[in-house]
Amino acid sequence: MSQVFHEIEKKIITSLRDNPKQTPELLEKSTQLSPDQIRRGIEWLKLKDLVIVTESKSTVISLGKNGIESFQKGLPERRLLDLLKTGPKKLSDLQKELGSVFGPSMGLARKNNWVEATSDKFSIKNSPSELPGEKTLKLIGNKKLPVDKLDANDLSGLLKRPDFIIEDVIKSKEITLSDSAKSIKLSNTQGEIDVEAKVPQVFVARTHPLKDTINEIREIFVTLGFSEIFGNMTQSSFWNFDALFTPQDHPARELQDTFYLDKINAKKIGTSEQIRKISESHKKNWRYQWDINEARKMVLRTHTTCVTIKHLAENKSDEARIFSLGRVFRNEKVSYKHLVEFNQIEGVVVGKDANLRNLMGIQREFYKRIGITKIKFWPTFFPYTEPSLQTMVYNEKLGKWIELFGMGIFRPEVTKPLGITKPVLAWGGGIERIAMLKYDLDDVREFYNNNLGWLRSTTKCQ
Amino acid sequence: MPVVELSYARLQKLVGKVTKKQISDSLPFLGLDIESEDKDLVRIEYSPNRPDYSTDFGIALGLQGLLGIKTGIVKLNVKKSNKYTISVKSGVSKIRPFVTGIIATHGKIDDKTIKQLITMQEDLHFGVGRKRKKSSIGIHDLDKISFPLVYTTTNRNHKFIPLNSEKEISISEILVNTDVGKDYGSLLGQSSQVPIIFDENQNTVSFPPIINAAVTTVTTKTKNLFVEVTGINKEDAEDMLSVVATILQTTGFTLESVKISGAKNSSPKLEQKKISVSSSLINQILDLNLNTSKMIASLKKSRLDASSKGTNIICTIPPYRFDIFGPMDLVEEVALGYGIQNLEPTLSPSQTIGKTNPISLQLKSLDQTMIGLGYLEALNSSLTSKRVLYDMTDRDSSKIISVLDSKSQEHTILRDSILPGLLDNLSRNIHESYPQKIFETGTVFTLGNPISEKINFSGISAHKDANFTEIKSVIQSALNIGFAIQIKTKTATNPTFEEGHCATITLNNIPIGIIGKIKSKIVENYKIRVPVVGFEMSLSESILKN
Repeated sequence: MSQVFHEIEKKIITSLRDNPKQTPELLEKSTQLSPDQIRRGIEWLKLKDLVIVTESKSTVISLGKNGIESFQKGLPERRLLDLLKTGPKKLSDLQKELGSVFGPSMGLARKNNWVEATSDKFSIKNSPSELPGEKTLKLIGNKKLPVDKLDANDLSGLLKRPDFIIEDVIKSKEITLSDSAKSIKLSNTQGEIDVEAKVPQVFVARTHPLKDTINEIREIFVTLGFSEIFGNMTQSSFWNFDALFTPQDHPARELQDTFYLDKINAKKIGTSEQIRKISESHKKNWRYQWDINEARKMVLRTHTTCVTIKHLAENKSDEARIFSLGRVFRNEKVSYKHLVEFNQIEGVVVGKDANLRNLMGIQREFYKRIGITKIKFWPTFFPYTEPSLQTMVYNEKLGKWIELFGMGIFRPEVTKPLGITKPVLAWGGGIERIAMLKYDLDDVREFYNNNLGWLRSTTKCQ
Repeated sequence: MPVVELSYARLQKLVGKVTKKQISDSLPFLGLDIESEDKDLVRIEYSPNRPDYSTDFGIALGLQGLLGIKTGIVKLNVKKSNKYTISVKSGVSKIRPFVTGIIATHGKIDDKTIKQLITMQEDLHFGVGRKRKKSSIGIHDLDKISFPLVYTTTNRNHKFIPLNSEKEISISEILVNTDVGKDYGSLLGQSSQVPIIFDENQNTVSFPPIINAAVTTVTTKTKNLFVEVTGINKEDAEDMLSVVATILQTTGFTLESVKISGAKNSSPKLEQKKISVSSSLINQILDLNLNTSKMIASLKKSRLDASSKGTNIICTIPPYRFDIFGPMDLVEEVALGYGIQNLEPTLSPSQTIGKTNPISLQLKSLDQTMIGLGYLEALNSSLTSKRVLYDMTDRDSSKIISVLDSKSQEHTILRDSILPGLLDNLSRNIHESYPQKIFETGTVFTLGNPISEKINFSGISAHKDANFTEIKSVIQSALNIGFAIQIKTKTATNPTFEEGHCATITLNNIPIGIIGKIKSKIVENYKIRVPVVGFEMSLSESILKN
């Protein structure tokens, strides 16, 4: 069976069989193809490993301004010697005749003992029939010559002269057939196409890679018996912080960590009972004057926990598995590992028998389903959970443990004022971090760059 | 999270009979994250609720417990003394009403200890002290001070030589010219009087909460210390004092009491407190079957004391553990003493049936439809910039919702529209091959009670033949296939769209969006060299069903 070739490819191969080393320019002549056809043909054949393209650099020599002048009038020292042929001459006369080149030409002539000075005049002492450089100058003339066609020794003197020689570095390609091409059969059948050839890239339309991870996580929690709830991204400080036992003077509530909305305050933040009980819990435990105006300040939620706690406060279920998934915000400098806005998953289990080991078990099951099996738990601290843990997962590529979800059991100081009587297991964490592991990304910003090159080429998670 | 730098060798000496590996393995189980390690040095992140972990002395106490080298409560032994008194004048009541303090004698301080004490002081100021607002500490060389002291007020012309200075300067100058003065001066308000501690000879000891006097500076030659804590709340000041007292006692100092009186002040009690927790709560929350003696042993490993009374555990808590509020905190202490690594995760069967939110399902279905139409999904931040949202597209910016003090110029305003972000995306992809077709669904924000959040849907198409008909065909099919609805388009004008190529999208004669060809001037603003058509519509009001 023979491979099918494009007419262009056939012509190039045939020509190279006759003349095995050719430049693209030469191929243009020998094949009668256009420069663009030759370029494409070489590219195709190269991809099929049928031609070898060797790139080389060569230097081409031509004359500069002073070189051209010397080519026309003779080298300055030749002109000097010609003047002296007719007999000794005075310095001033020579200066007048030769102008600016007098100095260098006389210097050269004296150094080589071509002239001698007697009293006030100069005369020829020993004039060679061909001066150094003259042969090369004549050879170059008005042409451009490869440097290897010239006598390097003779050229070297000319190279030192200002504006005399121009050296151009020229890149050239040489095309030869590869061994496999030498024996390949060129079929002459009409209408067949090269089915082995490369084809143009088409781009698939697809969901965003991060959205794929979000959907995957959503599905895992649904199959684990959790129901999804939604909540607003803009929240009163009351639900984002106060309801979660974060005192009003807590550093996390400062402008430099949390986005506050400019001049926007919530009118209704909760029921009067909720407000009364939460403020009492703060006053009693944190010992400060709780301020309702502080609780009214609107923030971009710093976690989705505000959504779940609000849901629990409204529904007061004794048995529930719910989760919330969405954007959260932190006032941070954007960097390869920090975004101001990212996605978080947050889940809770309410039940009379809900306990810490269950909470750990749900985490382990979740990680197993996204393909992470090497995990461990470390104690940590959150203002609104007690006990509190964090999951550490082992990343083979980085060779280290990475912190993923935080978790804990809501403190009685959180649940009691809101009338929640059963233990509430809660956990949550950033999704981009997981997606970075899945897509092997080092820079979290890639998810929001909407770089079409990346979106069109990233393979889905396997 | 605060960070403390420690030396393994020093920790080993403080903990006793322990290897470097045992220490590095145990730190995380005290809730301490190892941030980085460099040979002997280790940087550790600790939680702000445990200010006792701000020094290696405190961490050593924790490690001793966890490793079983020394367990049980760290008792403060404060020698009663009448030598040291502070009287408080009523002038301070309105500015910084409370002072408390303790004497620590016969200690040895090396360079590393000084460094640890300074870090502890800074961390306490920042965390528990809320940037010195609630409470702040001064640690002084006792031998440079003549008791009795008076905590009173002085005017802003009062001069003394402050720490790290060689000459006398006035309070006003300190507040204007020194870093600490600039950082914390505002805590004193506008009053002409400021708090001050004088000794018997009217020498300035401290100007709380700003700076100490230079004369009492602690050096490696210092043997005896005086610690004062001032604050706006007596309990908070004493909490802070208890941390410092515990650490100083651990470093080898002998503690002696300071008598404090006047203007509602009294001597610190530094008392232990008792909290009771039922053993069944512990076993229920941890899903374990521990007997009370195992629970007591675990609490002791967490450096608490405990005894059982029937099925209850009575726990004794040292004053520096003011992070312990109630029984649930003790459950955690049991878990820590028992060892988190010893808790085996269990998966209990779900009593509930999971359900995806219907909105999520409908959006996912719309995503699939758009993909079928050849559109790639984009994701943009909801917090974006005035440039993207308004300046580039000539949209009305009179009702912007902005955030305060954003650290990023590109993230200052909540989006009220998705389309400008998509145009911005295309402008960053002009080197990629065309056609370019992208879409996004996401939340948009508008002012109103106080803010309404709605889900919008937008898409754009850019290529040399892009036109109104194409984009109308797309939205028509997407909505018909995705939601079984028929939309109509009615001629409209809009600052973003070309006149004569712009329409309102209507559903049952109600406008729900806008569609058309983007004005060539805007396309040029974005340096896009092909025509762009697009649409944006609201999904929340009439299309998505809960």
